[in-house]
Amino acid sequence: MADFDRSDKKEKFRRLLAENEFVFLDGGMGTMLQAKGLKTGELPELLNITSPDMIEEIHREYISAGSQIVYANTFGCNRFKLNGTGHSVGEIIPAAINIAKRACEGKAFAALDIGPTGKLLEPTGELTFEEAYDIFKEQVLAAKDADIAVIETMSDLYEAKAALLAVKENSDLPVICTMTFEENMRTFTGCSVPSMALTLTGLGADAIGVNCSLGPKELETVIAELSRRTDLPIVIKPNAGLPDPVTNKYDLTPEDFAESMVTLIKYGVKIIGGCCGTDPEFIKRTAEKFSGKEYFRRETFIQAAVCTPVRTVVIDQPRIIGERINPTGKKRFKEALRQNDTDYIISQAMEQIEAGADILDVNVGLPEIDEKEMMVRVVKALQSVTDLPLQLDSTRPDVLEAALRVYNGKPIVNSVNGEENSLNTILPLVKKYGAAVVGLTLDENGIPKTAEKRFEIAEKILSRALKLGIPRQDVFIDCLTLTASAEQETVMETVKALHRVKTELGLKTVLGVSNISFGLPNRELVNSCFLQMALANGLDLPIINPNAPLMTGAVRAYKLLTNIDKNSADFIAAYSGNSFTVAANSFAPSEKRSENVSADLPYAIENGLKSESAKLTRELLETNDTMEIVDNMLIPALDKAGAEFEKGKIFLPQLIMSAGAAQAAFEVIKEHLSKTGAGGVSKGKVVLATVKGDIHDIGKNIVKVLLENYGFEVIDLGKDVPPENVLEAAVKHDVRLVGLSALMTTTLAAMEETVKLLHDNNVNCRIVVGGAVLTPEYAEKIGADFYAKDAKETVDIAKRIYSRT
Amino acid sequence: MINLDKIDREEAFRYMGIKGVPPQNIISAAEECEKLLLECITPKFHWIFAETAGFPEKGITLSGHKLVLCGNDIAEHLNGCCGVILLCATLGDGADKLIRKLQSEDMAKAVIADSLASAAVEQVCDIAEDDIRGRFKDKFLTWRFSPGYGDLPLECQGDVLTALNASRRAGIFLTDGGLLTPTKSVTAVIGVSETPINNSRKGCGGCNMRDKCNFRKTGGHCNG
Repeated sequence: MADFDRSDKKEKFRRLLAENEFVFLDGGMGTMLQAKGLKTGELPELLNITSPDMIEEIHREYISAGSQIVYANTFGCNRFKLNGTGHSVGEIIPAAINIAKRACEGKAFAALDIGPTGKLLEPTGELTFEEAYDIFKEQVLAAKDADIAVIETMSDLYEAKAALLAVKENSDLPVICTMTFEENMRTFTGCSVPSMALTLTGLGADAIGVNCSLGPKELETVIAELSRRTDLPIVIKPNAGLPDPVTNKYDLTPEDFAESMVTLIKYGVKIIGGCCGTDPEFIKRTAEKFSGKEYFRRETFIQAAVCTPVRTVVIDQPRIIGERINPTGKKRFKEALRQNDTDYIISQAMEQIEAGADILDVNVGLPEIDEKEMMVRVVKALQSVTDLPLQLDSTRPDVLEAALRVYNGKPIVNSVNGEENSLNTILPLVKKYGAAVVGLTLDENGIPKTAEKRFEIAEKILSRALKLGIPRQDVFIDCLTLTASAEQETVMETVKALHRVKTELGLKTVLGVSNISFGLPNRELVNSCFLQMALANGLDLPIINPNAPLMTGAVRAYKLLTNIDKNSADFIAAYSGNSFTVAANSFAPSEKRSENVSADLPYAIENGLKSESAKLTRELLETNDTMEIVDNMLIPALDKAGAEFEKGKIFLPQLIMSAGAAQAAFEVIKEHLSKTGAGGVSKGKVVLATVKGDIHDIGKNIVKVLLENYGFEVIDLGKDVPPENVLEAAVKHDVRLVGLSALMTTTLAAMEETVKLLHDNNVNCRIVVGGAVLTPEYAEKIGADFYAKDAKETVDIAKRIYSRT
Repeated sequence: MINLDKIDREEAFRYMGIKGVPPQNIISAAEECEKLLLECITPKFHWIFAETAGFPEKGITLSGHKLVLCGNDIAEHLNGCCGVILLCATLGDGADKLIRKLQSEDMAKAVIADSLASAAVEQVCDIAEDDIRGRFKDKFLTWRFSPGYGDLPLECQGDVLTALNASRRAGIFLTDGGLLTPTKSVTAVIGVSETPINNSRKGCGGCNMRDKCNFRKTGGHCNG
């Protein structure tokens, strides 16, 4: 990547900001066009070709009103929206920039305007991050002549990130990025102001702010918050108040608007304009009101923090980093990685969140798998179900970069160390993607014995980070725990080094704690005591197993005793009631064994008792063969639940509860098998997919749970699956049954196409289809072998097929 | 954003296929899921009014909009109307997130939350309709007609969203397959008339699901 940071265009933009107290943008383009007769639903961007003079005239009106930056008419100019118009991005964007530049006559800046793609991104939507990036990249590459790029009206932080990366990697343009907030201080997708500020500042925007949605008055709280969360220049481009649904008119006059805008000076707003409902008169009045006023130079103290769009974790007190997503020493985890079983990895995340983790470390390194591909997949899977920030953990820079790219928010990179090679490869990634980083106090000579030497390495890492422009608060130092049983004399060196880093360098500290007790009995006790020592000496980010009650408990108690947990509220919430005894329980003798264990398991399954099922299975495994448990207890119990469901005696949620209890039992069996190294319990493989274009996959997932609990191995291709992928999986796994689901009439065509592709390729498998709008007749018509009206029937079909040998 | 403080559980139980009084464990799970949903959803609606501009063959056009509502059924639905309300409503991304999360924790709760969310988005539409009625006190409104009903094609959903500027005003998007995202979202068309409307009750005749509908088989129907 070329060094775009020192480009002439960026320098010009910096001068514009330096030489003016305030910089004025334009007002609404759509508003002007609608006033000139554009119908809702018609593409404004086509006017760049059909009525260039009209567009130029609008730009000129804004410039004479005082706009110093005008947005070219390219807001929705992307390949989706132009589809079917006969025009391309490469044709319209240069034309639009050209028009804007003509109007600017070198006196104002012509901006490439990038609006949202118009599609919702993964995980709720179907557009992938990579596709979004490509769409934006195409726009950026077409705008070589622009003076600046503007990313606006974003409500999805992920999409804003894709656009920002696309601008920064494919142009030398300075870039302004504004997002759209609602009255609840969140965007539609739930992004908060601190998360937006942390992420976009980190990714290297030149100015950030808000546009659209509300008027200046309603946006005041958003601006106030933003001004505390970034040191970048602040942009505000609000609507002319709120629109009336009947008349479509906005409620502020140009004078009202200008009055409200002036009151925002105290928050340090620098770049000012208008969005929907505003016209040149609004800009003129606003510029007049600002004339003679001074820009407020605010002092911002940016706290150390990491985030996802929804949750910001400020490191102003000890925060637990969960260490369990890591295959080291865990057979079941390694097996899950080999089998692409992200569900298992997610279950590990859920357990830690439940136990009290604030951040999750993610390490999926295993020599025999594609770590990069797995890391991307796991990061995406995790951020689809949890709002906890992640700590991306790998020894490979390429894996870290891939994870940093697809991460939504500001993560931690684990890790850099004092070796030259590490500093040179990892820190630039941390800078580029705006992450925080863990710095390990080791170098070419290994881990120093003394606190002093470790402190020196910490200083070195910090100075190199600062040199690259990584803010001080984003460097977290790990003074490294050595094993007490082997190097007892170094334990206190770690604690001393940590204390010095915290007090002398003022950096946040991180420490993997569990290693201290390796090779000792009663490890949790040693870990917990060491954790308490470290906390008392300034540890901010303990990396621990949050599922260990003594560890999480030590952190909670520390926060209580140091007056961080005011009124002991969190402590009481965690330990009052039943869970108070959790810690004590781990030392208590196991509960009295049930009298007749084998009769209880079917009961637990029929009644959907998850933990009971797991416990009973564990006990049964001491005396029973796995297949015996599966065939004689699990499956008959499920059959019984299934039969009652068919008779209408129990309902879908209860059937699924039974399946959930069976799943818990199966998980215990799987763990047992991976420990003993015995073969699996697979009754056969089934490929499942929700067809291309369809994103409603809950029905398919219910089928999956049920099939798995009958011992089938499910290859779950997910939702929105192209026909080719189904074909590939069916052939690769040599399955005898493929299950397809579609919810809507609009996606049935994709189901038909998938069935046809399987037939055309003579794949030796049967096809079962299901979904709300399907009928047996339609299933037959498109060539499916079976129609299943519900999950239970799909299991019956699978059983029939696999019983024929 | 609007506030929803409870969800119609009875309606949700019906979506789950439960007949009669649900068992206690389902009721408890529904209580828990309702609480979780209410914490994470951001219900929102947005509507606009447009005058009817013309009645081309089998359809209707609106003044100031490119949108054409096609089909005999919508033409009949809007027969005699001087204007049209386009409405969209959503629970926001939070419902999808919660249902996804529950699917990885407890599929039964996911199914329950899914049904509750479907009931909730209908409640949001009801609140929207109250808001609309407040603005058209002296007029008469038809019931909510959605793309996919009768012969109004689901494919026109995209044009309805565009006319509403729904991605910007309510955060509702369309997928390539013609589905709404967030998934717990709805669009609807309501006719505005100066005179009382005859077809103010909605029947099963125009419904695409009429041959498969379980409620209908047992003699029930979902609206009106």
